[in-house]
Amino acid sequence: MLKKIWAVYLRDIKVNTREAITIYLILAPVLLALVVNALSPSINDTTVKIAMVEGENPAQVEYLENFARVSLYKDIEAITERVERRDNYVGIVPEGDGYYILTQGNESERVVDFVKALQSLYVLDASIEDSSAEIVDFGREIPPLKKMLVNISIIMSSVLGGMIIAINIVEEKGDNTISAVNVTPISRMGFILGKSMMGLMMPIYGSIAIILITGFGYINLGQMLLIVLSATLLSLLIGFVEGLANDDMMTAAASFKMIFLPIAGVIAVAEAVSEKWQWTVWWMPYYWTYRGNDAVLSETATWPQILLYTAIILALCGVVYLFLAPKIKTGLAKS
Amino acid sequence: MKLWYSFTKELKLASKSFYFYIEVVFAIIILVIVLFVIPENFNSRSTEYLYLDMPEAAESVLLETFLKEDTDGQAESIEVKIKKEMIPTTYYETGDRKIYVVESEEYLVKLVDEKKQIGAVIKIDDTGETSYKYYLQGYETDKLKNLYRVLHNEDMRTLEATINAQDVRPISTEYKVMNDREHTLPSLLTFNGSLMGMFILAAYIFLDKEQGVIKAYAVTTSPVWQYLMSKALVVTLTSIITTAVITIPIMGGRPNYPLMLLLLITTGFFASSVGLLISGVFKSMQKSFSAIFFAMIAMMIPAIAYFIPSWEPFWIKLFPTYYIIQGFSEVIVKGGDIAFVLWSSLGFLVAGMLLFMWATHQHKKALTA
Repeated sequence: MLKKIWAVYLRDIKVNTREAITIYLILAPVLLALVVNALSPSINDTTVKIAMVEGENPAQVEYLENFARVSLYKDIEAITERVERRDNYVGIVPEGDGYYILTQGNESERVVDFVKALQSLYVLDASIEDSSAEIVDFGREIPPLKKMLVNISIIMSSVLGGMIIAINIVEEKGDNTISAVNVTPISRMGFILGKSMMGLMMPIYGSIAIILITGFGYINLGQMLLIVLSATLLSLLIGFVEGLANDDMMTAAASFKMIFLPIAGVIAVAEAVSEKWQWTVWWMPYYWTYRGNDAVLSETATWPQILLYTAIILALCGVVYLFLAPKIKTGLAKS
Repeated sequence: MKLWYSFTKELKLASKSFYFYIEVVFAIIILVIVLFVIPENFNSRSTEYLYLDMPEAAESVLLETFLKEDTDGQAESIEVKIKKEMIPTTYYETGDRKIYVVESEEYLVKLVDEKKQIGAVIKIDDTGETSYKYYLQGYETDKLKNLYRVLHNEDMRTLEATINAQDVRPISTEYKVMNDREHTLPSLLTFNGSLMGMFILAAYIFLDKEQGVIKAYAVTTSPVWQYLMSKALVVTLTSIITTAVITIPIMGGRPNYPLMLLLLITTGFFASSVGLLISGVFKSMQKSFSAIFFAMIAMMIPAIAYFIPSWEPFWIKLFPTYYIIQGFSEVIVKGGDIAFVLWSSLGFLVAGMLLFMWATHQHKKALTA
């Protein structure tokens, strides 16, 4: 049986290589990782942007450049025009002996407070050179935002696996090849499992490629793979059911939201919502995947913790399977 | 007339397939998540670890100020687990900070190292001199480090008074700032409507290709563009319905609905044209899948800029989704930039028409091949 499944997988690779699909799939995680590498330094270097009048007070400009991005404009009118644009520029405008802070009116309170604090430090003549503060760091170079983007990319590569399976199955159904399998030595289930191998390999290869290219090669790969594999199981299950339940590509495409939506929700809750609300997404396996990946990428993960997360993901997958098993059976019988 | 007939026929077909209902059900799921899971305000608090190396009297004064700012006015004794060790801390939670005060610098270093947060030792020596030692991770920017260096050079009360005395003049007070729940809507609407529209329309055409429906157009009097347009109209109409399902219960009567409709139609048409083009260039969904997947991932990059407003490189404006997300954020609040939405809509209409013509050419070529 395994040999036959393997033969279907090899045939898939051969066909896909001819169509250049395999090359696309191999390139997918590499490109994702390169995008993460390209984006993360600039995202980490975010600070407030201040607009000031050119030549009006060079010392003030020099001082504020220590903390913020300062752009110079020829007059107050030009500053007003700049502040009015869509992004978050705040003006520091001279008036009489002093200055006022010019905002558009829709900036977040934090941005305005930050500019107020910087201008106050300048007014009070607080100098960096006179500082009594000492700074010690742990020499870490990878910012949390890059870690988050890598985490999302790893989850996306496992989702990609599920989507490939669904598309493969729907296309085979369209070509009526699943019915034709009846006259071959392989069973329908065996054929579908063979068609799913590509979707299983993709997340494993994808996660490793992303981790290595983005500079996370030092993490515990064993822990990471355990989490990735358990998440992939869920993506495969969903892809499998979507492929069998949907007769055409259009309804399958619409149902892909079923995968994207919980992931987006989980990331939003895990990253932005306070601890007391985290329980609202405990029932989603991708939440534990995200938490697990985060712990491994932060190097704070312990084996008991990862085993616990894996067990939770597998248990939730089991519940999903029990719920979807009748659909799989019906889908297989109808194909 | 023929276009209307094609459109109503496609609409009837769509209403018979699961597609339409899946879209509506997912719109309801999004609505439920936004309404019941996403809070109005995220209340994100920064975590800080502190060790107070100072005489007891000075420490009491400082802890008293934390207590005054604490949300429930009470300090909690919490043990934080680091590997196999339990580290005792006194915990204070203010409006924007979570402060853990520890008993030694050694504990502080362990916590900062393991929890990847910021820590500080505040020291007052025998002469009454105050000094600060910050423990950072290493990836913080020089600008942030400079701020830590300078922040405590001034007396905090003087600094606070100076900050409060700053004269802030907004150009407009008409803006209605969105709460965190409302703030998530523009990116959700972009993803749910426009991006998925591109994906679904490509799938729609591939389905017809697979069933040979599209070939029949080679021998009918109906031109190919009408066939393609009727598909695009069905997807756009679905997007309008699902957007209404999500937006109306959350935003009520506040959005500028006519403008939102205009943006939905033009962006829906643009996204549909991209989907049509993909389905014209590739032979099957399987073959186009990577292109669609990448286009969708790339098109979500402006969402990062939307959630981190201080990060907005110039190239982000080259992505069409930048204008869709920003456009939605302008139409759902009062006092939004109407000119921006109108210009964006015009841009999407023109770009959509050009792409549509290109897609029609591709499909015609395939029919006569």
